[in-house]
Amino acid sequence: MIGLGYRSEMRDWDLSKLPISFIEVAPENWIGKDTSRLEELGLPIKFHGVSLSLGGTGELNQQFLKDVRALMIRLNVTDYSDHIASSGDAHQLYDLFPIPFTQSEVDRLADRIKQAQDILGIRIGVENASYYTNRGELTENQFIEELLAKSDCNLLLDVNNLLVNSKNHKYEFELPNVDPARVSYLHVAGHDYIADLDLYQDTHGAHAEEIVAKTADAYSIAHNKEILLEWDNDIPTIDVIREELEWIKPSLTM
Amino acid sequence: MDQAFFDYVRYRTDEVPAGYTKNGLEMYRRLVYQGVDSMISYAYPHVKSGLSDEEWRFLLENFIAKSEWNSNFYGDLSNEFIIFLQNETATAG
Repeated sequence: MIGLGYRSEMRDWDLSKLPISFIEVAPENWIGKDTSRLEELGLPIKFHGVSLSLGGTGELNQQFLKDVRALMIRLNVTDYSDHIASSGDAHQLYDLFPIPFTQSEVDRLADRIKQAQDILGIRIGVENASYYTNRGELTENQFIEELLAKSDCNLLLDVNNLLVNSKNHKYEFELPNVDPARVSYLHVAGHDYIADLDLYQDTHGAHAEEIVAKTADAYSIAHNKEILLEWDNDIPTIDVIREELEWIKPSLTM
Repeated sequence: MDQAFFDYVRYRTDEVPAGYTKNGLEMYRRLVYQGVDSMISYAYPHVKSGLSDEEWRFLLENFIAKSEWNSNFYGDLSNEFIIFLQNETATAG
């Protein structure tokens, strides 16, 4: 089973030409908007947010979470996730920023996840994010493992982000040691090299790397998980997206 | 959460806080600037066209440095920019 991150640039596409069984959207793009176009697609929807700021220091926006929940109920959305990141300090800066990999931040984040889940009344997913610099005594995978142990949320396992981080920070690419029952589904995407900063940027604007696609497909087969392809920048034609989906999930064409 | 990290990203200081890399911080500055530039250019093209590149960058860096945005919706930046301009004008005048 594979899905696609649905973007407004795809509004004229005939999604029935793609081998997808669900789509993912940011609830921020649809709260308070006309959702008929989404509903007409006739595909199950997952919500993947960008603004909750689980790692921030400002209070979680309760009204926003209530609006997310109301829209989930109206559109039959089963999953809501955001990131293991902050969206700013105490305020919004509209990007995703690293949470220091420390034990005290694990504890603080677990508390905020619990607050969010209490307001929503459901378990949420948290996605391991890309980071371009960070500090702390834990490795990224240790941080993820500690967080999952402290919190009853799920992990949205972004395989591309793990690879981007391992390339940028020069360590071996490996999946965190997390019970597969706690993994909601997998993200696959591509990234780009930014030469003047000597960093790989998580652009979601390129062909996925083979190790990302292979790792995600193997995990999805072993543990019966869905995969979601994110392609948010330099969006190619629908034919290229179909080829990418079939390449990530070869069983779709067998 | 490290305020020193965000002070750098918000152009309030050029001092790299302990534990972070300059290139990594520059990437975050770029991401924030590009996000703001793209929304404000789209919402107020006439403001941008009336300024030199240096003036535009100065204005947006100030906007980012002083921002106290709370909305979960990126599009609300366009309203915040108007409030920022009104405050700046009041301070200057």
